[in-house]
Amino acid sequence: MIHFPAPGRSRETAGPFLFPAVALLLLFTLFPFVFTVVLTLSRVSLVGGLQLQFTGASNWVRLVTDARFWTSVRNTVIMVLASVSLEFVLGLALALLLYAPLRAGGLFRVVFIVPMTLTPIAIGYMWRMIYDESIGPLNALLREVGLGPIGWVSGTHMPLASIIITNVWHWTPFLFVLLLAGLRGIPTEVVEAAQIDGASGLQIFRYVLMPMLTPTALAAVLLRSLEAFKIVDEIFIITGGGPGTRTESLTLQAYYVGLLSFDLAYGATVAMGLFLLVVAAAMVFLSITRRSREAEEHP
Amino acid sequence: MGRNQKCVSITAGLLLTVALLMPAWAAPARFAGVTLTVFTQNPPYIAKPVQMFAPKWEAATGGKIRLVTAPFGELYTKMMSAFALGTGVYDVVIFASAWLGDFAGNRYLLDLSDRIKADAGLKWDDILPTYQQTVNWGGRLYGLPVDGDVHLAYYRRDALENPKYRADFKKKYGYDLRPPQTWKEYRDIAEFFNAWDWAGDGRTHYGVLEAFKRGGQAFWFFMSQAAAYVCPPGLKGCLFFDPETMVPQINNPGFVRALEDWVALVKLGPPGMINFDSGDVRSQFAAGAGALAKDWGDTGIVGSTDVKSVVKGKIGTMVLPGSSEVYDYKTKQWRKLDRPNVAPYLAFGGWVCGVAATARNPAAGYDFCRTLAEPANSYVAVTTSETGFNPFRFSHFRDLSGWKRFGFVEPDLSSYLKAIEQSLSHPNAQLDLKMPGQARYLDALETQLARAAAGQASARAALDAAAAQWERITNELGRERQKALYRDWLGLK
Repeated sequence: MIHFPAPGRSRETAGPFLFPAVALLLLFTLFPFVFTVVLTLSRVSLVGGLQLQFTGASNWVRLVTDARFWTSVRNTVIMVLASVSLEFVLGLALALLLYAPLRAGGLFRVVFIVPMTLTPIAIGYMWRMIYDESIGPLNALLREVGLGPIGWVSGTHMPLASIIITNVWHWTPFLFVLLLAGLRGIPTEVVEAAQIDGASGLQIFRYVLMPMLTPTALAAVLLRSLEAFKIVDEIFIITGGGPGTRTESLTLQAYYVGLLSFDLAYGATVAMGLFLLVVAAAMVFLSITRRSREAEEHP
Repeated sequence: MGRNQKCVSITAGLLLTVALLMPAWAAPARFAGVTLTVFTQNPPYIAKPVQMFAPKWEAATGGKIRLVTAPFGELYTKMMSAFALGTGVYDVVIFASAWLGDFAGNRYLLDLSDRIKADAGLKWDDILPTYQQTVNWGGRLYGLPVDGDVHLAYYRRDALENPKYRADFKKKYGYDLRPPQTWKEYRDIAEFFNAWDWAGDGRTHYGVLEAFKRGGQAFWFFMSQAAAYVCPPGLKGCLFFDPETMVPQINNPGFVRALEDWVALVKLGPPGMINFDSGDVRSQFAAGAGALAKDWGDTGIVGSTDVKSVVKGKIGTMVLPGSSEVYDYKTKQWRKLDRPNVAPYLAFGGWVCGVAATARNPAAGYDFCRTLAEPANSYVAVTTSETGFNPFRFSHFRDLSGWKRFGFVEPDLSSYLKAIEQSLSHPNAQLDLKMPGQARYLDALETQLARAAAGQASARAALDAAAAQWERITNELGRERQKALYRDWLGLK
């Protein structure tokens, strides 16, 4: 027989048991965060060991006046908006395709999630070869059908589009899996009732499936967006952030500035800029979804 | 055979065996039990010589070599953080001589002056004076040169010597087609040969091969063009800072014109050239893609010795072209010249082998470095493919047998060695920047060069932005200290 302690006693004894977990959490989460904040207010020298010199808000002033930072913000926001939107549309389309019983549906499910199982570096190298403008298969294909070669990674707008295409290819399965699970979680009786009432396929999708899928869809989009803001590996391999800084994301800029130029304090400031951007985006997203839910509940 | 004879034979055999084994027994295992951790770039380039000579050193000394490597882009960061935090994980480092200011200036490396002076076998005087300077910091020697670096221009002899092309070129540009003597001629030739099948193999070929990628050595590719525009003979401080004020020179009118001309080359190369690094320049030149190229000695080596090269026996090598006008930052005037101003650029300055101040066995560290630098081994290294080491001793130019074994053919070999020798001995040869913060200055400029090449900023705006960042870096590192070190490096009082 299992004896559960009385609630009051549980609270008294919980402290010592919780301490290791809380200490680890503080050490590995709170300390790096606080240290990063301190770095943004300092000048860092490694000569003679790590030395910090308080410089006030100078790194932040530099950040808001840095054209490269704003280019990175623009690139990151475009990549997140474009890739997550496309991933959602494609993921939903694939999920709807496999929602209905389909012969070899299991095989398709496996095939569709393969890209997600690959490492970003491997994907980066694969797409870098595909995009190669001299010997890559994409341009070879275009030449075969009489179209001129495209500067996939060297033009003005194409490099960013190429990164988005790669990202969509890589992460659509993530949304597909979550949305398919969400669809499968909807009771079939509801759909059948709508069919008996004579609803068309589009009406079922619009008025039955989508409202019931919305909580799952919102969580999936939010999770994916938070991850998309941190994009770095594929860009690093495919374009290195170039040409110029046309595909440089905030994470990549933080890496270049902090760890290649060895400007640790400013690199930390760029990273903190990304953090604030992600928090702001998440707040806006949650606020919009809360309002739309309220509007639906109280039209 | 009688019993006595048998005894004599056995005894003689035993004695012979003992005699043969004696040298091994008698050899003093000077560094028995010593393990040296050597840190450098990942293979093949630069790490390969360590892999080649480590077994020999281990057999001769009883020591052990543990090779640790990292990609070039991470090398400085890893070395600097290991030194600064005093981790003592590396005993020997093979690094870019341009970083000597950070490493020797902060006493992270051992002063090897006395050991070098006492080492007759090293043949220090055989090392070209330019490369002796690459390990000199404040009059003391903090490493051994193991590589010589200078940027050179390459051209396809078969294209530039083709009579029909010569006639067509003269008709179009009004002067004779020849190996380019100025950067203007370089551009014209690149334009002439761009995007058609001038090699007659059914494929499209291009005018020029350049590295424009940030993090892909674009800094050096630009500087090697700019030097001719901004460095009249004898003008110190023309390339980086005004030595009186430490004000950056990289946005003066000479640099702006150089950048405009350099950026114009983007359209005269293969598709995607804007993302090329120096490795792409080498492989594409060997594949026959370009009529002109600019690079360290490696393009010549890959083109002449790689089994897949289609340009073997067709490569001309020359000192970098010049400029018919040169900007004098002191007078703030352009000078028109009768003969092009040539300023060969010792880009990168070569790899250096140094011993960390925290090395557990400095003698062993020095001994391994001198194994790489000594005449015989270094000759093998510079005449072996994929070592990344280029000639840096007088003797490397004298003995041609190794170069021919390596795969070079005439007249490419003579042209190659002559171009290197002429560049190094040129009175207006320009050294690469060597002072604390070099990596930060480089990255700041390279980022802006990439923006200009991508059309995100004009040459003027990009260089102004880079100059502003250089000012910030100088202020952070201490203007007066930087100025003193820069003036020291220029040999100014």
